[in-house]
Amino acid sequence: MRKNIELKLIFWAIVALFAAFLAAPLLLLFGKSVWDGGLTTEFYTSVVVKKGFLPALGNSFAVASAAAVIAVVIAFLLAYAVHYTALPLWAKRLISAIATLPMFLPTITYGFAIIYSFGKQGLLTRLLGRQLFDIYGFWGLLVGYVIYTVPTAFLLIHNTMGYVDKKTLVVSKVMGDQTMSTFWIAVVRPLLGTLAGAFIQAFFLSFTDFGIPASVGGGYDVIATLLYNQMLGGIPDFNRGAVVAVIMLIPSVGSICLLQILERFNIRYNRISPAELRRNPARDAGWGAVTAVLSVLMLSLFAVIFVVPMVEDWPYKTGFSLEHVQTVFADSELLTVYQHSLFMALATALLGTVVAYGAALITARSTLAQGYKRTVESIALVTNAIPGMVLGVAYLFLFSGTELQNTLLLMILCNVVHYFSTPYLMMKNSLSKMNAGWETTAMLMGDSWIKTILRVVTPNALSSLIEVFSYYFINSMVTISALIFIAGARTMVLTTKIKQLQYVNKFNEVFVLSLLILATNLVAKAAFSCLANHKKKKPIQQTQA
Amino acid sequence: MLELNHIRKSFDGTPVLHDISLRVEDGEIVSILGPSGCGKTTLLNLILGLTDADSGEIRYNGEDLTRTPMEKRGFNIVFQDYALFPNLNVYKNITYGLKNRAHLTSQQEVEELIDLLGLRDHLSKRVDQLSGGQKQRVALARTMVMKPRILLLDEPLSALDGVIKESIKDRIKTIAREYHLTTIIVTHDPEEALTLSDRVLIIDKGTISQYARPEEIVHQPKNDFVRKFILNQLEIKRDNIYALFGRPSVAAAV
Repeated sequence: MRKNIELKLIFWAIVALFAAFLAAPLLLLFGKSVWDGGLTTEFYTSVVVKKGFLPALGNSFAVASAAAVIAVVIAFLLAYAVHYTALPLWAKRLISAIATLPMFLPTITYGFAIIYSFGKQGLLTRLLGRQLFDIYGFWGLLVGYVIYTVPTAFLLIHNTMGYVDKKTLVVSKVMGDQTMSTFWIAVVRPLLGTLAGAFIQAFFLSFTDFGIPASVGGGYDVIATLLYNQMLGGIPDFNRGAVVAVIMLIPSVGSICLLQILERFNIRYNRISPAELRRNPARDAGWGAVTAVLSVLMLSLFAVIFVVPMVEDWPYKTGFSLEHVQTVFADSELLTVYQHSLFMALATALLGTVVAYGAALITARSTLAQGYKRTVESIALVTNAIPGMVLGVAYLFLFSGTELQNTLLLMILCNVVHYFSTPYLMMKNSLSKMNAGWETTAMLMGDSWIKTILRVVTPNALSSLIEVFSYYFINSMVTISALIFIAGARTMVLTTKIKQLQYVNKFNEVFVLSLLILATNLVAKAAFSCLANHKKKKPIQQTQA
Repeated sequence: MLELNHIRKSFDGTPVLHDISLRVEDGEIVSILGPSGCGKTTLLNLILGLTDADSGEIRYNGEDLTRTPMEKRGFNIVFQDYALFPNLNVYKNITYGLKNRAHLTSQQEVEELIDLLGLRDHLSKRVDQLSGGQKQRVALARTMVMKPRILLLDEPLSALDGVIKESIKDRIKTIAREYHLTTIIVTHDPEEALTLSDRVLIIDKGTISQYARPEEIVHQPKNDFVRKFILNQLEIKRDNIYALFGRPSVAAAV
C-alpha cells in the first residue's frame, strides 16, 4: 500500500505553520483578555460598561447590516443584467469589470474618495451644487462599505447564477406562470442560499473593516475604531484591546458558522446546457439603463482618485498638473515603500500558492486518513473566520520583542494565513475535478508520487495555480487591517503609508499611492489572466518520434 | 496463471467479498459480471493491488503477490474514464511510461501498437480533440507499452456508443490474441461479457454465482440469479431483435 510519506510531510509542515502563526497568537490573545496574574473578568466588564462601547458595537451592527443589504441588492441587479438579459457582450464585460473594480484598491482609499466626492469641497458636491449628506459618520461608512462589499457579493451571485438552469424560465412560462411567479421560482428561489451567503459575507467584511472607519468614521465610533484606539491610540491598553478583539471575533465566527449551515441549502444543478433567452428589447433597454446608472455612480466615486492628484491644488486651483505625481516619484522614501509592497505581495503570492496547493493536494488527491483531511479543512475554516485586525493584534502580542517584530517576513506570513481560505478552496475545487485515476495510472507507468505531481497534476493545475497566485497578490497589495499593527517604520507598505500620510493631511500623495496600487493590480491581473488563459488553451507542440 | 484463494474483503465492517477463489489461465479473456455494488470493482482493485485483501492470497505463476505493492506486480489497468493526461498529446500519453523505463518497449513495438490500434493519424492531437473510442484506444496503447503481465479493463465499453463498441471489442480480442495477454474485464452488461470473453465470472452479493464459458452460462445457468438477472435481459434483447428482423428460420423461409 502507498505510504504517502511526502503528503504527510506536507501535512505536518502546514500544521506547524498554522500552529505558530494562527493558533499560538490567537491563544495568547484570549489569554491577554482574561489574565492579569490570575483569571479575571475585569477587563471584559470594564470594556463593556465603558461609556461608548455598546453604542459603538450597535453602530457596527447597524451600518454593516444596512451596507450588506444594499450591496447585495446592487450586486444582484448587476449579475441579473449579465445573466438574464441580451445586452451586448461588451456591456456585460463592462458591468463585471466595474462591479469588481473596488477589489483593486485598499478600503482606506474609498474613504478618502468619499470625502473628496461628497465632502463640502467635494467633486460631486461642486457638480451638484450642494452636499448630499454628512459624510463623517453613518452615511459615509455606509457608502464606503457598500463599495467595498459589492465585488464580493457580485462574484458570489454571478457564480451561482451561472449554474442556475435557465431552462426553468421556459418551463415556468409554459406552465402559465405570471412574470413575478416565474421570477420567484426560476431566479430568486435557486439563489436564496447564495443571496443569504452574500449578505453574511458583506456583513462580515464591513463589520471587521478598518480602512473605511479610519477615514470617514469621524465621531461615529464603530468597533474597528475602538480596537485601533485601544491598541495604538494615545493610551494603549493591551488587555482591553484583547477584549475588544475577542468581541469582534464573536460575530465573525457566528457569520462563518451561518455560512456553513447555508451551504447545505444551496441547490445544485449537475449539468447546465446553455439556454436561449427570449428576445425582449424592452427588458434589455431597462436593464441597460439600470446598470448604466449604477455603474456611473460607482465610477463617479472613483473619478476623484484620478482627478485630485492630477490638478494643481484641489479644490482651489483646478488646472491640470502632474506636479504631485512627480513629487511622489521623486521621493525615494515613497518609492522604497512601493518596493516593499511589491516584494511583500509577490512573496505572499508565492508562499501562499505553495501552501494552498499542498493543503489541497492532501484533501483532494490523497488517500490520507480522514483525520488529516479534517484538520486541513478546519484550518481553512478558522482562517476564514478571523478578521485581519484580530490577527494583527494577536501578532502584535506574540511577536513583539522577537526577531520577527516589524519584519516583512512576518507581514508575509500574516497575509498567507489571513487569506488562506479562498485560495485553498479554489485549489481544492480544481484538483478534485481532475481525473481520479491519474496517480494510479502514473504509478503503474513507474512514476513516484513527486514525479506524478510534477509531470501530470501540476501542469494541469497551472491555470488554477496562477489564479491563486493572483488572488494572494492583489489582496496583499490592498490589505491594511492586520498590517497596521505589525508594519514597522522600516517595513512600511503602501496601505500603511497611506494611513500615516492621513495624519499629516497629505492627500495628494494618498491618491497618487492609491493610483499606484490600482495600476499595479490592474497590470498584475491582466498579466495573470493572460498567462492563465494561455496555459488553458496552449496547443501542445508536436513532438513525434 | 492467476490464482485467487479464499479472498475476503470488508469496508468498515461491511463484507464486500466473501471467500472468492478462482483461476485465470494465461492468454484468457475473463469478464467479471454483476450488478452495481456486487463487489466486482473491489475484486479488480484487489488484483491490481490498489486495495489489500483482509485475508486470502493472490498468486501469479506460483509467485505470492498478496503483499506485493501495486507498481511491483506488473499488472496494468485502463480506467473507465481513461485517465489520459490532458497536458500531453496522444503520442506523449502513449509513451509516458518509457520516460521511466526507456528500454521496456522498442520503438518498433510502439509503432506496431500505434498501427494495431489505428492511432497513426492522431499522434499530435490534444486529448480533448479525441472521440470516446479514440481515447479508449490511446489509453489501451499507453497501458500496452508497459507490457503488463495481466491487462485489467474497468468498464471499457460503457462510455461508448453503438458501432464504436463493437470495434473496440474486436481490438481487445485482437490484442489479447496477438500478445497472448491475460485480460480481465469488469462489466455490468451481460451481452458485453458473454460476447467478449472466454470465460465469465458472475458475482452476486460478494460471492461467485457462476464461473464458466459463455455457452455454458446460457445453456446451463447455475441458479436463479443467473437466470433472472443475466439471461432474462439477453432474452428480452433477443426477442426485440427477432421482432424487428424476424426469426432466422422464418427469414430463411421467406
